[in-house]
Amino acid sequence: MTNITLEQVAPDFLEKEKIAHSEIWNKTVSIKKGERLQIVAPSGSGKSSFIHFLYGMRKDYHGNILFDGKPVKNFTPEDTANNRSNHLSIIFQDLRLFPEQTAHENIEIKRLLQPYHQQSKVNEMANALGVSSKLKQLGKTCSYGEQQRIAIIRSLQQPFDFLLLDEPFSHLDENNRKKAMALIEEEATSRGAAIILADLKPIEYFNSERTLHL
Amino acid sequence: MNLSYKHIAHFLNVGQNRSSRYFSYFGLGIGVLLLLCSVQMYININQLIKDKNPRKNGFDYISVTKNITNENMGKDNRFSLAEVADVKAQPFIKDAAPLLANQFRAKASAGNIIPFSTDLFLEAIQDDFLDTLPPTFKWQPGQQDLPIIFSADFLEMYNVFAPAQDLPQLSASSIGAVNITVECYGPMGNRIDFRGHIIAVTDRINSILVPKDFLSWANKNLGNMENPPAARIYIKTTDANSAELLSYLQQKDYHVNKDKTKFGRVKQILQAIVSGLGGFAVLVILLAMMLFSFYLQLVIARSKDNLQLLLTLGYSPGWLSKTVAKKWIPVYAIIILSALALTQVVHFIFQQAFLSGKETLSPFIHPVVVLVAAVLMFLCVTVNYRLIRKLLYKL
Repeated sequence: MTNITLEQVAPDFLEKEKIAHSEIWNKTVSIKKGERLQIVAPSGSGKSSFIHFLYGMRKDYHGNILFDGKPVKNFTPEDTANNRSNHLSIIFQDLRLFPEQTAHENIEIKRLLQPYHQQSKVNEMANALGVSSKLKQLGKTCSYGEQQRIAIIRSLQQPFDFLLLDEPFSHLDENNRKKAMALIEEEATSRGAAIILADLKPIEYFNSERTLHL
Repeated sequence: MNLSYKHIAHFLNVGQNRSSRYFSYFGLGIGVLLLLCSVQMYININQLIKDKNPRKNGFDYISVTKNITNENMGKDNRFSLAEVADVKAQPFIKDAAPLLANQFRAKASAGNIIPFSTDLFLEAIQDDFLDTLPPTFKWQPGQQDLPIIFSADFLEMYNVFAPAQDLPQLSASSIGAVNITVECYGPMGNRIDFRGHIIAVTDRINSILVPKDFLSWANKNLGNMENPPAARIYIKTTDANSAELLSYLQQKDYHVNKDKTKFGRVKQILQAIVSGLGGFAVLVILLAMMLFSFYLQLVIARSKDNLQLLLTLGYSPGWLSKTVAKKWIPVYAIIILSALALTQVVHFIFQQAFLSGKETLSPFIHPVVVLVAAVLMFLCVTVNYRLIRKLLYKL
């Protein structure tokens, strides 16, 4: 997948005033593979909704989202599953780990689906983000910061063309944010993939080429 | 995807509600066993009743008349041409032929050796309905000799009353030597005599049969109709005990020789019982499958969060449905194969104990039973897969 296009997309539920001031809603926006795009918006302006629309989790919007010219709304559940395992990866704001599985199992269940890295790479990444000692711990017993880093590592285990980040560092300190961002950029670059990062404020250590206000 | 069920097994709460799962397995096993046994017994009954019926040339010949009741006894109860055509048109009746009766007065006497004289009736039927057909059973106008085929039952009756009347008893082979004078009377009292010869004895048709050509000629010249409606017809069928034939005859209120079709009636009753059992078995299977579907719905409802997250991570709902459904294939296979094996045991005991191992019944279950088991297996797996798929697509 090389291109995502938004044609006059706007959430069904958002106030008209917010839509009118947006650089994305009700506009035509094109995002190319390899691009670094930063989306900045305050709470309640639809950042998570935007990421979920792109990931095919919600359809409560009007307008069209096109993947290489094909409307996302027309995709079958199988098409969506194929996109999620080969072309799109995501870090959710609410993390979404299996609470009853260990951190390692949470990563493996994603890695086994479409392995991009060897298992040893998981340990390497865990070391880099300082969670290697947490890999055998159940998801529910890890702190939010640890869970966030596990979720980041999990998102980097598959092939992807676009990486969607929804407030990915909300539970991390400055030092861990930088480390995580560096790892994400390195992984995206190795795949020639785009990063679409949505956050409350601009992130200085993200080498974005474009910033859009939602 | 090199993934298998073991990778996702811990995301499914399959261990919950064990009692309803095992109960549904048990129900399914009982239902399948009942159904397979019913099918095998249905086939056994069919096989045994068919073999009990003595057949000639692979066909049964049955005499059919209309039921004479107090209500219709004054009316014409003969078969119209349309009625004969309707009988012939039935798929389970290979052929039907009316028995042509004499439309004139006929009398027989046997001369001085056997001094008796009696009014008699003559009938004719198309040749291919006769079990014995000597080449001399022919007649043409002007011929004085009249070949006759005589019923074996009538000969038996004659031999019963003959001694009391001071008449000689006759064997089937000696009856041909008796010269019979057949006197035929026209409407004006005119009389034509023929020299009758009994050239064969028949087990099939209870009548005094003459060549059709003769009776047509005599009816035309001495009676008033060449081809009058027949009071009885003979039908030729591959199975006198077929349920379709019996129900057709019952529906038309036609009378048949009960002895010819008595096994058919027994068969009808037995098959009805076995069919009822089969129907009950289908019901048990349906209930067991419903119970199992409730169990599956419960498993999926309890694992909903996990399954939803797997789908969110990119697991295909199609792959998940197939993988989860596959888990139960060995269970279904064990249940259905066990039921099949038990059916074989039941059939073998039936064949050995009740029929003393008669060769007419194979000791092995019929291939149709195996086919039914295969169809059930296919149905169970498909229904299971479709249900899981439907539930997963709903998530």
